[in-house]
Amino acid sequence: MTKLTAVLLVTACLQVSAKGYSQKVTLSESDVSLTKVFKEIRKQTGFLFFYSDELLQQARKVSIHVKAAPLQAVLDSCFRDQPLGFEIDGNSIIVDARAPAVVTRDLPPGEITVHGRVTDPHGVPLAGVSVTIAGTSRGVATDGRGEFTLVVDTGAVLHLSYTGYTAVDVQVRGRKTLVVALELSQAALNEIVVVGYGTQRKVNLTGAVDQITPQDLAGKPGVNTFQLLQGVSPNLIIQQPDPSPGASFNFNIRGVGTMNDNSPLVVIDGITSGNLQSLQLLNPADIESMSVLKDAGAAAIYGSRAANGVLLVTTKKGKKNQHPTVSYSGTYGTQDSKILISPLPAWENAIYKNESLTNVGLPPIYAPADIQALKTGGDHEWFLRQILHHAPQQSHNVSLTGGGQNSTFLLSLGNLTQASNFVGPNYGYTRYNVRAAATSDYGILKAGGTLAYTHDELKQNSFGNGFLMADAERTPTNYQMVDSLGRYLTNAVLTQFNPLGVLQRGGYNDITNDDFFGNVSAEIALPKGFSIKGVVGGDMVTNHNFLRVAQVGFYPQGVYGSDRSTGDTWTQTMYTNVQLMAQYNRSFGDHRVSGLIGASNESTSGHSSNIYYMYTDSILGTPTTGSIVSTNASTTAQNPYVSSLNSLYGRANYNYKDRYLVEFDARYDGSSKFRQGIRYGFFPSVSAGWRLTDESFMQGVRDKIGELKLRGSYGVLGNQSAGNYQYLTTYSSITNAYGFNNTPVAGEGFTFSNPDLTWERAATFNGGLDAYLLHRSLNVSLDYFNKLTSHILLVPAVPGTFGTNLPDYNAGKMRDEGWEVSVKYVLHGRQFTHSFAVNLADNHNEVVYFQGTQQLQGDAELETVTRAGVPFKSYVGYKRDGYYQTSSDVAKYPKLVGITPIPGDIKYKDKNGDGIIDNNDLYVLGNPFPRYTFGFTYNVTYHGFDLNVFIQGVGRRTMFVRGELVDPFQANYSYNIFKHQLNFWTPTNPNAAYPILSANGSPSQQNDYNVPSNLYLFNGAYARLKNVQLGYSLSPRVARSLHVQHVRVYFTGQNLLTLAKVKFLDPESTEFDSNVNNSYGNNQSGRVYPTPIFYGGGLDVTF
Amino acid sequence: MRSRYYFIVALFAVAGCQKLNQAPTDRYTDFNYWTTPANANALLNTAYSQMFRSDYFFYNEGLSDNAYVGRGDQNNTFTISSGSYNASLGRFDDEWTTHYQCIKSCNVLLDNVEKIPGYPADQKAQLIAQTRFIRAFVYWQLMTWFGDVPLFSHDISLAESQSIARTPRAQVLQFVLNELDTVEAVLPKSWDAADQGRITSGAAEALKARVELYEGNWQDVAKICDTLINTSTYGSWSLVPNYSQIFSPANEHNSEVILDQEYVPNIRTYAWTFDFIPISAGARDNALAPTQDLVNDYLMLNGDSINQAGSGYDITNPYANRDPRMTATLVYDQDVWANANGSTQTIYIKPGSDPNRSALNEYVSNGGFTSPTGYYWRKYFDSTAAPGEVSGLDLILIRYADVLLMYAEAMNELGQMNASVWGQTIGALRARAGFTDPNALSFNAAWSQGDLRTIIRRERRCELAFEGLRIFDIRRWKTASTLLNGWVHGAQYGDPSVDNGFVRVASRIFDPTRDYLWPIPTYELEQNSHLTQNPNY
Repeated sequence: MTKLTAVLLVTACLQVSAKGYSQKVTLSESDVSLTKVFKEIRKQTGFLFFYSDELLQQARKVSIHVKAAPLQAVLDSCFRDQPLGFEIDGNSIIVDARAPAVVTRDLPPGEITVHGRVTDPHGVPLAGVSVTIAGTSRGVATDGRGEFTLVVDTGAVLHLSYTGYTAVDVQVRGRKTLVVALELSQAALNEIVVVGYGTQRKVNLTGAVDQITPQDLAGKPGVNTFQLLQGVSPNLIIQQPDPSPGASFNFNIRGVGTMNDNSPLVVIDGITSGNLQSLQLLNPADIESMSVLKDAGAAAIYGSRAANGVLLVTTKKGKKNQHPTVSYSGTYGTQDSKILISPLPAWENAIYKNESLTNVGLPPIYAPADIQALKTGGDHEWFLRQILHHAPQQSHNVSLTGGGQNSTFLLSLGNLTQASNFVGPNYGYTRYNVRAAATSDYGILKAGGTLAYTHDELKQNSFGNGFLMADAERTPTNYQMVDSLGRYLTNAVLTQFNPLGVLQRGGYNDITNDDFFGNVSAEIALPKGFSIKGVVGGDMVTNHNFLRVAQVGFYPQGVYGSDRSTGDTWTQTMYTNVQLMAQYNRSFGDHRVSGLIGASNESTSGHSSNIYYMYTDSILGTPTTGSIVSTNASTTAQNPYVSSLNSLYGRANYNYKDRYLVEFDARYDGSSKFRQGIRYGFFPSVSAGWRLTDESFMQGVRDKIGELKLRGSYGVLGNQSAGNYQYLTTYSSITNAYGFNNTPVAGEGFTFSNPDLTWERAATFNGGLDAYLLHRSLNVSLDYFNKLTSHILLVPAVPGTFGTNLPDYNAGKMRDEGWEVSVKYVLHGRQFTHSFAVNLADNHNEVVYFQGTQQLQGDAELETVTRAGVPFKSYVGYKRDGYYQTSSDVAKYPKLVGITPIPGDIKYKDKNGDGIIDNNDLYVLGNPFPRYTFGFTYNVTYHGFDLNVFIQGVGRRTMFVRGELVDPFQANYSYNIFKHQLNFWTPTNPNAAYPILSANGSPSQQNDYNVPSNLYLFNGAYARLKNVQLGYSLSPRVARSLHVQHVRVYFTGQNLLTLAKVKFLDPESTEFDSNVNNSYGNNQSGRVYPTPIFYGGGLDVTF
Repeated sequence: MRSRYYFIVALFAVAGCQKLNQAPTDRYTDFNYWTTPANANALLNTAYSQMFRSDYFFYNEGLSDNAYVGRGDQNNTFTISSGSYNASLGRFDDEWTTHYQCIKSCNVLLDNVEKIPGYPADQKAQLIAQTRFIRAFVYWQLMTWFGDVPLFSHDISLAESQSIARTPRAQVLQFVLNELDTVEAVLPKSWDAADQGRITSGAAEALKARVELYEGNWQDVAKICDTLINTSTYGSWSLVPNYSQIFSPANEHNSEVILDQEYVPNIRTYAWTFDFIPISAGARDNALAPTQDLVNDYLMLNGDSINQAGSGYDITNPYANRDPRMTATLVYDQDVWANANGSTQTIYIKPGSDPNRSALNEYVSNGGFTSPTGYYWRKYFDSTAAPGEVSGLDLILIRYADVLLMYAEAMNELGQMNASVWGQTIGALRARAGFTDPNALSFNAAWSQGDLRTIIRRERRCELAFEGLRIFDIRRWKTASTLLNGWVHGAQYGDPSVDNGFVRVASRIFDPTRDYLWPIPTYELEQNSHLTQNPNY
């Protein structure tokens, strides 16, 4: 054997998962080369052929006509009378000059030195390719010339792997020289991305689509998909305003583009339910992939639903030709609530309390003897610590998947429990998921379906977390929560309730959801590239809320829940979705054309009922003699509604040589929310891509730098998030509006119509660049977007004299602009493989037009403005300008109307210089929406070990906090000053962080704390070590000996470390929801459930 | 082309195209609402409910020298009374909007009621009259706070509301009076039992008296009150024998009630007393406390004021021998409280006085949740209230005693006060209150008009304390600039060297060049450039 050159052609079959392999071959060829036959067999079976060109030159042409013949038989026929032999080894067919009877195992044993060279398909050497000897941990990496040298057994198998390329196993078979050309991996070339109503090869994408894989979520102890998505994809902005179990998340794609509903559309398995709750209820372990459609190019096919972006979720299915496989994954750990504030010893607290009074000319409360008594009396455990404890969190998922030649199946079960950190009877969140999916091919028909059921339950205290926290944290530590007789104590400062008593005995609020999701689809393949597909599906969610307030008596006085009320509310929402579409997909030489046209209906209907009893049985909570049905009960269907959207949509793609790509998408929507005549809207988009390095004149760039693709899109998207029936004036009954002679009578309220209500339209431009550099080990994606939303549906500001509110009007315009960067880099070493992924994004909005001058909205000292030229709902307030240091300062500088401050009070900037501080001196102070959101993932593997570090954060955000965490002894509600508040003004601390201590009712309080100002604004930027995983996977050999395919055990931790400017509160805490509505009132007072830190372990086993 | 069209139609048909014309099933629309008298009545009921607000009823007292808001800032009462506010304060727009919402209800009803087929004429006339009364009442409230306000008597469009200007106060006043004149002719003197609480012709007359009173049109006040007191043209009223019984849940719609806001136990309720009554009586805290100034104004039982020489007032035993209305209205140290279950308790307020160590009601200087002044309220305590002081007790907006006081005031201002009018008014009220000393009951011819003015105004304050009228009285008398400037005091629990030991609770500022009119809310100025601002805002 002279110099033997083996060229390994590793070609993959298109759409592996979709098509599957077959061992049956159908051929009808006359007088063709063996190479052509091999190609055909490879196409049909997926088997790879290994041969050298020299060898095949000796081969004869063949003629073969077989139908569904076994592979072995076909090969036997081809190789008959050939000077060649073949051998089937796993998925490979090795062609050599010897007789077929000769097999590797007969080679004489012994060691040889192998020199090899690894190149890309164009013959460019690849450096850093990992070359290992299968079954051992021995291996090397190729050098700068793509070469390696290894001493191996003559019969060894070398495993070659390199990111972006398909890994191959090469049999040495006694050869001393190997030249291996690696093929670009199918993952890179043929990676399939789920897009609206179909899939596309990633290389052909022209829109801004980001793909999220299960690896991005694996092993993280997140309780739901939202939590797991945080920081994973650029400009997929997830905020958790309330970290308590079961609470909802803020979810935005590319920030805030409208003053109306900013919720992205969530599509699960093709069903556009329009229900974010479905995503919260989904078992993250069931997710196969997610696509984030960000621009008009990608999203216009969802037309009026897509202005806020689209998240497509595809759930797992079984695989064809797969033995039934059982997998288990689970985590178990404990959550530790980290309290960021701390009180002072009661005697010190009393001294400061006195100071706050004497500073403003009021007598002190505590005599020196009282303070001494507090000092000698010592302190009890702070109430806030007493109502919190460690709580376990665990999840378990089991699935069974498999498939035959024509069908697949999946069964999965999941359970998650997150106990609450509040003490009390079993507070917390539990979710159960069941899912079954099947697909089947029958001739030209492909059918599939999914049925999923979720039940979750959130058990909370009956009072509300915010006020419990407040009551607990603002009580000085000289007070005792429970006395020696076990009585829950109230005291001179706990106004009403004892928080421990409320938690332990005060009843509960039980919120359960039942979600049935189902879909069935069928696709018929027609000749000439046509196919027809129909999808029917729906989602039915039933929410049940049962509130039971139990009576708890306190000592010496006070009762909680004396009305012993029970509330029972049911809401049912049904989403249905029917789609029918025709698809076309065909190639003509270098031209590839595909298209889709479809029609769909989405309908939503719902109703609710509730009943509310007072004075129920004190033990059972059941209605009894003397019980009263409350007036706001409604046993009949409440708020029934139906809304419907009929749509026609289509897509046309054209590409030439996969180099020039054009796509048109459009949707024509008709909505029941608008009146006849103006209810239809047309939403088109166009996008184009150019893979410039495929041009011959760019060959040099491609070889030296890598591949580049430019993308651009422009289109108009819609939003129909308006209430139902708003084009009609309606009159609804107000139960018990009034009474005469103690008999209630009903009133009537009216809701004025807006007959001109129509679509909100978002014109969106997107430009992007995708780069695959350093032999595809470095991927970079850049995007820029600019979205102008007009006809924004919003409740207009109307004069008070109009006397009522109006429904939505198309009365606003805003711009949303930003960019995204995503970088992925993989570094192969001899022992270690490192991978890095960074994403960074910005979004920035500005109101362009708002009807009326402006809208100021306030809640206590929080004030926001909506007006042209500034971001939506910007904070407004006075700007601090130091303190009045002396009484001559007080005389000299402008003051707030009606207030005579004292030295140590805040001096505000007189913006207009008129010598008085009033509304004309308000500044725009910031914006509550996060900017520069980022995520960073680092992963390193060393043999069986892996380490994964995930950091997530926000580069810029202004957060607002008022109340007791900022204002010591706040408004006679709080009796504490916390340690972080001690840097207050005194004559010797003239540049303090906080003003002079003052008492409620004093001009100083009015001046310093009762007006909106930047005293209450904090820097909400942070970086958080969101997840760390350290895992070990058993080597396949050991695993096999235990009769399992794969085992991984790992440590996992969440929220382990946070770097933030604001130290006394979780920087993620926000009072705003996704639409920048102030919906978390307790957060603005810092009364937020402490963010739990999770430590635990996990286990993944595949049998 | 045609086949493609069919294809699209077919796609829609198969895709289960839904009807896009959807109508609500739980609400009326314009097409079917104005069809029955019952629907018109329902809208009138809404207007009744919008006529007055229970929170304003109580907390307006904290705007005056009768009470102090020491906790929270309900309805911005604390902020306004402190004097440090501007036109963007929430209460102003709240007050403005609340009233125009009620006006909207009235105007929508009045504009559409004629569409209802088969509406019996007399019933319709009465419905219209009640609606117009409510609208007039609300306009009057608006002009009392804000002066000139936009006036319109039909349902205005959005465009109109964005350009409408303020109507001069005098025209609004004339409108209110004309409306009241019109409706009193249609409204009945009384209603059937089931309709107790509806507006009567007497209510229209009494409201007219109050409107004229605030204008200082003494002739008109005297004339209207004379008719109400001395004739039965508009009905007959009499004083309830026991002062505290006026406000008892068992005694709603009593002989003294002329106009009220109706509540229904457990169904249409308020719970404000939860923050006013003594803590040990079931309050959660104190958010509105009587002032020492009010306490000081109650007479001695002998009819002398406490600082009159020889009154017998003992500063060390300050609550003895005082006007019985004081204890019927508020709670002072060691006052006795009747519990809902019939038992009684002593309310210990003086620091360190409570023999029971819980000391729930004791005064704590600027600290605890007890009263910051050392006083609690008793008036409008509902012993039948549901837990949390959820009460269905009606709130009286105009009562007969007020008519008597208006009459006395007008007659005195006209220089016509005499023993007979005195006996019919102040004398009668004091006798009913429990005074027996002739010095308290009888008229003294030696009193000057000024003396009488002091006496009548004090009488008005004590009789009507905690009924929401004080702030309007001191504004129309223009005494607010004196009474609402400086320290608010509480009981004598403080440092004796400061204000004789009467605790300083908070200081107030009232700017007479500005504060006699409330500002037009900033928000409204932004929405309608034709609105002007009141002086000095």
